[in-house]
Amino acid sequence: MRLLQAIGSVFLNFLTSTGRLALFTGLSVSHIVRPPFYPRLLLRQIIDIGYYSLPVVGLTAVFTGMVLALQSYSGFARFNAESAIATVVVLSITRELAPVLAGLMVAGRIGAAMAAEIGTMRVTEQIDALSTLSTNPYKYLVAPRLLAGFIMLPCCVLVADIIGVFGGYLISVHKLGFNPAVYLKNTWQFLEVIDVVSGLVKAGVFGFLIALMGCYHGYHSRGGAQGVGSATTNAVVSASILILASNYLITEAFFAQ
Amino acid sequence: MSAAPIKIAIRGLTKSFGEKHILRALDLDVRAGESLVVIGASGTGKSVLLKNIVGILTPDSGSIKIDGEEVVGVTGHARDRVNRKLGMLFQGAALFDSLPLWENVAFSLMSAHRIGRPEARKVAMECLKQVGLQKENAERFPADISVGAQKRVGLARAIASGPEILFFDEPTTGIDPVMGDVIDGLIVKCVKELGATALTITHDMESARRIGDRVAMIYEGKIVWVGDVDRIDSSDNEYVDQFINGSIDGPMSALIAGNEGR
Ligand SMILES: Nc1ncnc2c1ncn2[C@@H]1O[C@H](COP(=O)(O)OP(=O)(O)O)[C@@H](O)[C@H]1O
Ligand SMILES: [Mg+2]
Repeated sequence: MRLLQAIGSVFLNFLTSTGRLALFTGLSVSHIVRPPFYPRLLLRQIIDIGYYSLPVVGLTAVFTGMVLALQSYSGFARFNAESAIATVVVLSITRELAPVLAGLMVAGRIGAAMAAEIGTMRVTEQIDALSTLSTNPYKYLVAPRLLAGFIMLPCCVLVADIIGVFGGYLISVHKLGFNPAVYLKNTWQFLEVIDVVSGLVKAGVFGFLIALMGCYHGYHSRGGAQGVGSATTNAVVSASILILASNYLITEAFFAQ
Repeated sequence: MSAAPIKIAIRGLTKSFGEKHILRALDLDVRAGESLVVIGASGTGKSVLLKNIVGILTPDSGSIKIDGEEVVGVTGHARDRVNRKLGMLFQGAALFDSLPLWENVAFSLMSAHRIGRPEARKVAMECLKQVGLQKENAERFPADISVGAQKRVGLARAIASGPEILFFDEPTTGIDPVMGDVIDGLIVKCVKELGATALTITHDMESARRIGDRVAMIYEGKIVWVGDVDRIDSSDNEYVDQFINGSIDGPMSALIAGNEGR
């Protein structure tokens, strides 16, 4: 009986928070499309999420491309398939590694910052103050962040695609002795539009989820500094898990026969 | 007594958080143009009362009418329209720490009233001057100024859009008595200049006497006494007597024993 009760209450809790999240998402998205808009705030978020994430994302991409070239060389040499390295690098980067790794890095950077900022605004009553100043907090705080996340992570990932391929090129040409022209030709030869596009779609979804988790946990934080701390942790953890799970779903939608 | 119309009419206002019953069928009228102060011990639900009126919290039941218009359950644009009549000074000032002081003050002008930045800035500078802050401070950020100055900026923000009703949540709590005196003076001056109705909540009797035309006492989720401020010492109300004398013995001893919010 105890056990049933416990399971029941966990289940109820799950339903409540899912409902709350759905409501939060619906409200926020509706405010993205309804005026008034805040272009200034959107621009600030775009710079924060897009521009300032570039160093982190770029570093991640260049090392990943380098490792990928090295690993596939030592593996493929066993059955004389070294010529496939360029293709392996470009497909892995564009389809999987650039969006997922960039997503996880940005979740740590942006998701945490959003949760901390909005959480602090919650516990210091700044969010309450917004509504007494006839300003909707969903529109003012949440909508610009969601939109900026959705737009800017794909931009970051596009840059990461290029830098990642460049990392693989560096290692292949300078360390493994490939002919540069042949390597580039191999890179282009088997690359299809859908490889890049699927990666960018993933990035858009991840960017949205990161911002959503940051805003949601920040918005519902309570209980002073400690509450803001756990909101930050929850935002990063839940965004990371959602990224990995939705990555599977999107991959299946694009590539499963 | 007076013929002034009722600006805010609260009837049967009830609000609980789980098992904690904070407001229990509270009734209160605020007359147009008066300054009403609600006094009561800490944790008796004074802030909850204000937050229900301005729409930050939703009551469990009861009615709140502002200018005869029901505001309970009103949300979205309709709520924003109501809130345009209101200004509020929060207990901790609640300034936006990502914005310089003048943008804090000009916030509702730019955001809700859609006034251009240069114009809004002019009004904000005027308001800052009204609360005794120098022009040089306009570009500073809330974290860089004292708590007393933050309250001044919070007051400037509340009055910037020329509201009809002003709410003050513990305006003197957490600052020194001299600054408290100054803030009270500013509140009285600003309310008078705007011709606004004011509702202040506080546990500071000195401040209540300085700001209020009338005083209401809240206890156990209800208003237990209302009267003109000069009648407060002869109220013949045991709750009021205990509160203003700060004595331990009296009807509110249950509160002191820690049974608040039963
Ligand atoms: N959002 C909330 N959730 C749960 N309890 C709350 C909330 N806001 C206030 N309370 C509780 O309501 C009671 C009254 O709080 P408050 O109105 O802030 O008191 P005060 O009269 O000092 O302003 C307190 O016991 C507080 O814990
Ligand atoms: Mg309070």
